[in-house]
Amino acid sequence: MPALPRSSHLLVTVTAVATLVACRGDRESSGRATLSYYESYDPRSLDPALSTDVPTGEMVTLTYDGLTQFDADGHLLPALADRWTAGGEGGRRYVFHLRAGVKFHDGTPLTAAAVRASFLHVLDPTTKGGRPWPLYPIAGAEAYAAGHSRDVQGIEVLGDTALVFTLAEPLAIFPKFLAMPVASVVPTPLPGSLRERPVGTGPWRLVTWQHDDYLRFVRNPGYWGGAPAAETLTVRIVPEPLTRAAEFEAGRLSVLEVPFGETARWRRERPGDLVEKPALRVVYVALNNRRGPLRDVRVRQAINRAVNVPEILATVYGRRGIPSRGAIPPALAGSDTTRPRYDYDPGAARALLAEAGYRRGREAARKGETDMVILDWWADYPDADNFLYPLFYSGSFGPGGNYAFYSDPVTDTMLLRARRTTDDAARTDVYRRIDERVYRAAPWLYLWFPTDLWARRPELAGWDVPVIFNGQRWTRARVAPR
Amino acid sequence: MIRLVGRRLVATVPTLFGVLVVAFLLLNVAPGDPVAAMVGERADAATIARLRAELHLDDPLPVQFGHYVWGAVRGDFGRSYITQRPIARDLEERFPKTVQLALAAMAFAALAGITLGVLSAIRPGGAMDRVAMLLSYVGVSFPVYWVGLLLILLFAVMLRWLPPSGSGGLAYLLLPALTLGMRSVAFLARMTRAAMLEVLSSDFIRTARAKGLSEAAVIMRHGFRNALIPVITVLGLDTGSYLTGSILTETIFGWPGLGRYVLSAIEKRDLPAIQGSILFMSLVFVLVNLVTDLVYANADPRIAYD
Repeated sequence: MPALPRSSHLLVTVTAVATLVACRGDRESSGRATLSYYESYDPRSLDPALSTDVPTGEMVTLTYDGLTQFDADGHLLPALADRWTAGGEGGRRYVFHLRAGVKFHDGTPLTAAAVRASFLHVLDPTTKGGRPWPLYPIAGAEAYAAGHSRDVQGIEVLGDTALVFTLAEPLAIFPKFLAMPVASVVPTPLPGSLRERPVGTGPWRLVTWQHDDYLRFVRNPGYWGGAPAAETLTVRIVPEPLTRAAEFEAGRLSVLEVPFGETARWRRERPGDLVEKPALRVVYVALNNRRGPLRDVRVRQAINRAVNVPEILATVYGRRGIPSRGAIPPALAGSDTTRPRYDYDPGAARALLAEAGYRRGREAARKGETDMVILDWWADYPDADNFLYPLFYSGSFGPGGNYAFYSDPVTDTMLLRARRTTDDAARTDVYRRIDERVYRAAPWLYLWFPTDLWARRPELAGWDVPVIFNGQRWTRARVAPR
Repeated sequence: MIRLVGRRLVATVPTLFGVLVVAFLLLNVAPGDPVAAMVGERADAATIARLRAELHLDDPLPVQFGHYVWGAVRGDFGRSYITQRPIARDLEERFPKTVQLALAAMAFAALAGITLGVLSAIRPGGAMDRVAMLLSYVGVSFPVYWVGLLLILLFAVMLRWLPPSGSGGLAYLLLPALTLGMRSVAFLARMTRAAMLEVLSSDFIRTARAKGLSEAAVIMRHGFRNALIPVITVLGLDTGSYLTGSILTETIFGWPGLGRYVLSAIEKRDLPAIQGSILFMSLVFVLVNLVTDLVYANADPRIAYD
């Protein structure tokens, strides 16, 4: 998932006034007694098939459910399916049993047929959603999406309450794929206006959507997971980070991701309101492993040793991250926090460059042969696979996520083996070894794993920063008297 | 008059066609792939290729342009690649918000700018003049986003009088209108002052004074009326540009108008949305100019178009 957080230089200019404001002390009213969240831009649609970005995915998560879901800590939990069994046909067969008594917002009961229809809708080429890949592991799904077949043979409906999925090849993390917003379940027959007037089974029902302005939700009293504690939830569309900060200070937003430039001030002045959590995200510079001097592992290692990551984090990013020593964030199984890092050492960097035949470090850049791009990667699902397969598998070149064009047959084999391994401990071990191997090959300039820094209104209770964007459903959140 | 309006309307057609051609070509030479924005990160090549084909992005440019013009002629702006909503409806939703903001900003600018300009022209070099010109310097020099954020900090965070952003009643309109109108206040004040000074030194003003009219009548009825033409020009141009949306002001204040619509369309390479907006904005601009010309004739009987 996309984009570095924008740090804003507007900030410098208003700091003086901001300080003045702070001196006036805390005069905040308790705010209006409603929950208020925000997005930085208007969601694409409320048809789950179109959820390709974070704002859309978050709004779909409030309105709909999938067969499985993530909690705020990224654990996989049952959702519309209350249990499932894996195995059979060498790990290719999954049976999901639907939770009894679940109803859509319009009162129609949830059926296995609706699940199948929802998946076909996502895969249907005429939907033009753009993100059907979480369903591609199902046998026949890709052919259907390409318009080559009329049905997906890997989805089988067992009565009203169960489904059998047969995968094209074993995939241990398939249940996690089903927790992604795009795999949400919609009623069948498909309501024509799903894009604007969603009908889901989720905790919140959309009542108003003023584009570019706000979305207003009311609680779904019959929500299978327990009705939300609050009556309404407003999601405002506020594009400018400093405006959002003002909205929060004025008590009109319940939570806020602290703007980068504001980090120091907020840490100083509002320590009680802040929540900090390691994110499932990695920031890195993809080095084009296919071009020029960057083909040489020594050059890539030299680049890693020539950048003082801890210093950048401390001075520019307000210590909102920890230097990475691999691609797997520390919160995920398979990460290794003890692996020796490429420490900042310009001498060693120069030596590596000299060894590679570049006596002067800047020669490569002058020849215009270098090719680097700073990127970040957000978890789609909380699993080490999400930080390895898209980013380093040779079949994921370019838009698939492998912008370094890193290609190594051994890594490829290990990645595919991990995907087929159902034993979690064994799988984790393979991930750790892949990460180690790739780190040594240095296809990236490894930077850091960001730490999320959010502020919470003091009167807000029952809300925690989700490690994954679709891990927060706002069901326990409420405005409590201080 | 009707003939004039008709003739001018016909003359807008080639203008708009030119805009269409330029917009289309620019978007096609600019880097960026609309499909990349549709699929998000981590997409498979097959999906990308399929979407490109379905959106006719692989057709030759003249064919694509033909499709587009044919749609525009029938009043069909197409659907957004990203949201799949009809663009005409998106514009229909945003435009009233932009009009609201533009009119409020212009009302503020006209009132404040003209008043300042007239007051400072009465006694050039006097205290009033100096204060007014200082204000207008400030107004011209301060960047919009900075003023906007300062106003938010002052009125919404410190004083808690107004909401920081969003749209709704009058309270939501004040800060963005003030921010947006500020530059116009400054321009108008300077323009009005200059025009008034010129007029006030002419013979007919002396005559008016000589025949015993009150100073107020001299300034307003004889002076101001004759100084109006350049003022109307500035008003018209600014109204035209405000009615086509203001990206900075709308972004800072979370105002759901045309400016933000265009900005996010550009960010996502949403070609039909960009083209539709540009066409619509040009139409608005051309119409506002037409109205300005008509107002000229009304303000100064010496101007006739026939």
